[in-house]
Amino acid sequence: NNNEFKDEKRKTLDEKNKTTAMYVAITIIMVLGASYAAVPLYRVFCRVTGFGGTVREADEFDIVRKRDLNRTVYPFKVTFTASTANKIPWSFKPTQSTIECVPGEPVLCFYRATNNTDTPIIGVATYNITPMKAGSYFTKIQCFCFDEQRINAHETIDMPVLFVIEPEILDDKSMKGVSDITLSYTFFKSND
Amino acid sequence: MNFAQNSSIQKPTPPDKGSFPLDHDSECSKPMMDYMKCLKDNQNQSRLCMEFSKLYLQCRMDNNLMAKEDMDNFGFENVKNAKIVQAPKYNPNEPIVAGLSRRNNNK
Repeated sequence: NNNEFKDEKRKTLDEKNKTTAMYVAITIIMVLGASYAAVPLYRVFCRVTGFGGTVREADEFDIVRKRDLNRTVYPFKVTFTASTANKIPWSFKPTQSTIECVPGEPVLCFYRATNNTDTPIIGVATYNITPMKAGSYFTKIQCFCFDEQRINAHETIDMPVLFVIEPEILDDKSMKGVSDITLSYTFFKSND
Repeated sequence: MNFAQNSSIQKPTPPDKGSFPLDHDSECSKPMMDYMKCLKDNQNQSRLCMEFSKLYLQCRMDNNLMAKEDMDNFGFENVKNAKIVQAPKYNPNEPIVAGLSRRNNNK
């Protein structure tokens, strides 16, 4: 009698183990399947809602930032430097060494590049702002950076930069004492 | 440059209105030279040379070297509203004394 009882107990235990194992296996398969399905599902979600910055409307380009300047401002001195990398055989200089401007004012400045060789050269420019924390307040409205620029043989080109220092720089406590900003442009030779 | 270490360093961002096309034929050299001369005469203060800036941008627009836009959109007129004062004197070596509020600096 005792043996029969033990056998029965073992049988129900086995059955319970089998059902648990089946549940666990099913859960694993479901989770694996969900992680594979997440990729296309996310794509659809982003496309529909525009989250994640994948969708951009064309008129964001034309939205004009209204800067409120009904306030006291103090002038900033912007210094310009230029350099060439990779021994590019052209001369690249700013046409003005410094400009004194106020935040919120659109400022025009120029860089002059001369190709001293007999062949056209294609280059790309990038820029840097010092001090680093001022970089977030320096808005370039239009410039000649990040796009390939082609200069023909023995040609001199004047390249403009139109920028604005955001007025919020005057309210930022960490920017106290900063009244000098340096804009450095570097020209790289494009490998094409 | 490790941006993760210092979050206040901004990655270079592309310009708002894109890139200026190159002026290969020097069509707008004259407004540019006028602007440079104005800067030289005015100790490089650009707010006194806004008219020349506008002339240069207008020349670019007329010669298809820039997307046509209303001059008001750039914000040249806003500068007239601003009151320009001297930069506040800031001594970076001013010590911080515990318990003493900084008198001159704002709250």
